[in-house]
Amino acid sequence: MFASQSSAPAFDSESATPFISLTDCQLTLGQTRVLDGLSLRVNEGEILAIVGPSGCGKSSLLRLLLGLVPSDGTGQLQRATGALGAGIAFQKPVLMPWLTARSNVELGLRLGADRVKSASSRRERVESALALVGLSDFSEHYPHQLSGGMQQRVAIARALSAEPRLLLLDEPFGALDELTRAQMNKELLRIWESAGTRLSTVVLVTHSITEAVLLANRVAVLSTRPARVVLEIPVDLPKQRAAQYDDLDQLPAFHKAVSAIRKAVWEA
Amino acid sequence: MTRLALPRAARSPQVFYPVGVFVLVIALWQGAVLCFHVPEYLLPAPFAAAKEVDLALVGHAWTTFVEALLGFTLANVLAFLTAAAFVYFPPLESSLFPFAIALKTTPLVAVAPLLVIWLGTGLWSKVAASVLICFFPTLVNSVKGLKSVEPEALEFFATRGASSFETFLRLRLPSSLPYVISGLKISTSLAVVGAIVGEFVGASQGLGYVVLVSSYHMETPTMFAAVACSAAIGLAMFWGVAALERRLVFWQKVDPS
Repeated sequence: MFASQSSAPAFDSESATPFISLTDCQLTLGQTRVLDGLSLRVNEGEILAIVGPSGCGKSSLLRLLLGLVPSDGTGQLQRATGALGAGIAFQKPVLMPWLTARSNVELGLRLGADRVKSASSRRERVESALALVGLSDFSEHYPHQLSGGMQQRVAIARALSAEPRLLLLDEPFGALDELTRAQMNKELLRIWESAGTRLSTVVLVTHSITEAVLLANRVAVLSTRPARVVLEIPVDLPKQRAAQYDDLDQLPAFHKAVSAIRKAVWEA
Repeated sequence: MTRLALPRAARSPQVFYPVGVFVLVIALWQGAVLCFHVPEYLLPAPFAAAKEVDLALVGHAWTTFVEALLGFTLANVLAFLTAAAFVYFPPLESSLFPFAIALKTTPLVAVAPLLVIWLGTGLWSKVAASVLICFFPTLVNSVKGLKSVEPEALEFFATRGASSFETFLRLRLPSSLPYVISGLKISTSLAVVGAIVGEFVGASQGLGYVVLVSSYHMETPTMFAAVACSAAIGLAMFWGVAALERRLVFWQKVDPS
């Protein structure tokens, strides 16, 4: 495991399969030009972090990737079929307070045209999603009986229960304390690395440069509004890194990436 | 030592304290009336008023209760459906909301005679008065409740491909419950007001009728008994809604108001 530590292969973004690609996209919400000439590729199999100044349109970009908002018509947005039905989690857990943790996770499976009809296979998926986030013992608890970190884990289980290949995370750990946040980061890496899920690709919007570097294979830095990508850099850390998460910030590659991104954010 | 043989619920502060205050006020009132020889037509002693509660008065109270409950139920069903229509068809809200406010600001007392002309002196003019006065608070609260959904929750439903009916049933409706129920709580007391105002204008039964007739004859103890009955009806309906709230909105700390 540690053999790969010193010279891990950087994630090769050129040869990877594009999962979603945005070319020269423009987005206007109301009177505000949010994105301007933005091009970005999300490759299958990677964790892509998007960082940028506060209010620059990171969340809008995520909604554009999901197809929740239409772009202005200029530019191109292409989505591979595997990128459809993406799981999503937000900064707030947005759980239904009238449902138990189990029913909250199950909710996503009961909606829409491709809902899971069999109750037993729903239960199976819910159990495994809750186990994945380590909450099997709390399945009958209501959200108000859970801590902030646990609520966020329920939200991630809910996103994972539909077994998406793509997971979009909008500052999912932003409201958590630092210790819980570090633990959640580790768990996210563990889930992404585990062979038991279909999950292959994660797009993570974050305010934290260190979080971006610790988690991502590639980081895209956005400019101030209207946003475009000012820097895309691969993170030269081991691709499988959950096991050595605590030591990652000792590596020179970590500091190199952090300072390059910090510089780009300042200049953005 | 023997403890007071009260059931556990009765020993809780929420029950014991108000009951204590009630007993104390009644005792002071009774004592004051006896000590100062207050004439009965001005202020009857509570026990004198209590003696007026007979089968006939209970019958009148039942009439008022039925009117209020019917008005309450109809108004709230109508108000919630209107609120849902407002939320799903915003032009409807902007075109009709000013009229809802006009309805609210028109004094019910001024409209009640018209209701009696239209609907007669029977049950339905009182139900209508009750509907008119109950409608607005539930409408406003339901609109607020149905709009209280977090945008992220709507986005989650959208990513799962939920239909708008699913979104209503599984997201908007339950989200609105805390608001709807606080609207219902305001409505409970108003429902009784509406029924009694209707009875003042033209009726041959009901608590409003009793108050009116006994005031003509200076039968102050009867008036007090009727007023106490109307308060009891309002209180019973309020407690009913509060019990519903504890069951339906169990995730929220129950607001004692």
